[in-house]
Amino acid sequence: MKKYGNFNIFALIVGFSFLYIPIILLILFSFNESRLVTVWGGFSTKWYGELMNNQGIKDAAWVTFKVAFVSSTVATFLGTIAGLVMSRFGKFGGRTLFSGMIYAPMVMPEVILGLSILLTFITLSIDRGVLTVTLAHITFSMCYVSVIIQSRMSSYDESINEAALDLGCTPLRTFLLITFPIILPAIISGWLLSFTMSLDDLVIASFTSGPGSTTLPMKIYSMVRLGVTPEINAVSTILVGLVALGVVTASIIGKRQKQQTI
Amino acid sequence: MTDSSSTHPWQDPDQKPYIRIENVTKKFGDFTAIDNLSLDIYKSEFFSLLGPSGCGKTTLLRMLAGFENVTDGRILVDGEDMSDIPPHLRPINMMFQSYALFPHMTVEKNIAFGLKQDKLPDDVINQRVEEMLELVELTKFAKRKPNQLSGGQSQRVALARSLAKSPKLLLLDEPLGALDKRLREQTQFELMDIQEKLEVTFVIVTHDQEEAMTVSSRIGVMESGNLIQVATPTEIYEAPVNKDVADFIGDVNLLKGIYKGKDKEGTQLLSEDSNSIVYATQEVEAELEDTIWFAIRPEKLEISKRKPSNDINVLQGVIEDAEF
Repeated sequence: MKKYGNFNIFALIVGFSFLYIPIILLILFSFNESRLVTVWGGFSTKWYGELMNNQGIKDAAWVTFKVAFVSSTVATFLGTIAGLVMSRFGKFGGRTLFSGMIYAPMVMPEVILGLSILLTFITLSIDRGVLTVTLAHITFSMCYVSVIIQSRMSSYDESINEAALDLGCTPLRTFLLITFPIILPAIISGWLLSFTMSLDDLVIASFTSGPGSTTLPMKIYSMVRLGVTPEINAVSTILVGLVALGVVTASIIGKRQKQQTI
Repeated sequence: MTDSSSTHPWQDPDQKPYIRIENVTKKFGDFTAIDNLSLDIYKSEFFSLLGPSGCGKTTLLRMLAGFENVTDGRILVDGEDMSDIPPHLRPINMMFQSYALFPHMTVEKNIAFGLKQDKLPDDVINQRVEEMLELVELTKFAKRKPNQLSGGQSQRVALARSLAKSPKLLLLDEPLGALDKRLREQTQFELMDIQEKLEVTFVIVTHDQEEAMTVSSRIGVMESGNLIQVATPTEIYEAPVNKDVADFIGDVNLLKGIYKGKDKEGTQLLSEDSNSIVYATQEVEAELEDTIWFAIRPEKLEISKRKPSNDINVLQGVIEDAEF
């Protein structure tokens, strides 16, 4: 075992504290009995019960879930196709343009992306609502899926597909029986990633949502402006839990997949 | 029909070739991978395409399998033009250099894959898989996944999978490249056994000249997209067409000389190194005084302390160094 110096351990503790103490505090205070956010009044789960009675939060949670589910599913579908095209079709005309367009939402500031999507909807006179938020989320999470698929395909032995064709399998069946099952873990982790990104997006949702399509992060944000309540801590804790679950699952799947290829 | 026509079908003008490659050219952009190449391969042959990497031998194999289109010319298999037939409809199977086993399927399922595509009944498939597992001695490993197999085992699964559909023609792309020397030699004989037993036509791509010499009925030596020589291993060894082939196949002493015509003793060459006349049994097409290369296989040299009784091809020398 390598010995770590004192400085390294110190740096590690400071770094992790900075990252995680706020989250830990948030989780702790969600179990606070007291109504005052900064004063500990004993352990209680009453704020979680309160949440169940708050129609506004429940509605927002339902919207968020719907949007995340539909947008991540569609984004995974489109992103997978884009990733496959990028990695398997070699140099086709307009490849650079295509890849640039796929990756643009990743590097573009969210505010700009949100604004431009909003302007598009206005131009096309589409009423803002659940549909527009979903479309916007598909736009930005699709590129992450395509990156994941593309990196999976870079270690994919193309001769596996050729072997299937060679054994009398049609190209479509080869995709369904060979390629798809092999890259399925990557597709699932792409789905989980876009699901969590849709779950915690605030900026783009703010631009593209309309009446009746307030998402949970938007709801939390507007509640915070009136003061932090333990209820917010509780709903945030649930959100943190969901996101953590998604990310951890995605990384476990990724690890398993690596072991399989070795 | 003489006996030689069954073992040497290429010498019999009545024999129809099983594969006919007619003036095939393959270009990748400006690069010509295969340059106007023609070749006939006969039924039940064990034909090797031998050459350094980048000579186009794998491209030729991939064109036979249908993974590359032919830029010009055509390929006939059993008299049928293959140009417009996609790989999954060709009666050809291929064993890949990387083995290309399906990682998410067991050994059994890998072998059964091709048979399932033909929609055969389950009991027929199971029986055939059983046979194949026995052939490659992997019955015990039927339920394993490819990542639980050694290199040699993977190689045998790949072979079993490509033979399961009883193809008339099997293409093998550097099939033994990933194995260590001992395993490779052992597998070479297994391959020859299987090929004889099943009477399949094998076309194998290799850069290992020893391997080609051991297994092949005929060898096609390739260089930069051309076939330089197509002949039996013995012919290639004894009478290489040029210096490159001589150098590529086996150990050889290559010497430069001047052509001095021929007489009853054979072809006369003036060796530049020893400045003496050397007689060769092989004939050469050259003008007098042309510079030519000649090759002497080391095992054809005899060394003795006493001067031999004959007068030709005798040189005096001093032993400077010896190596086992």
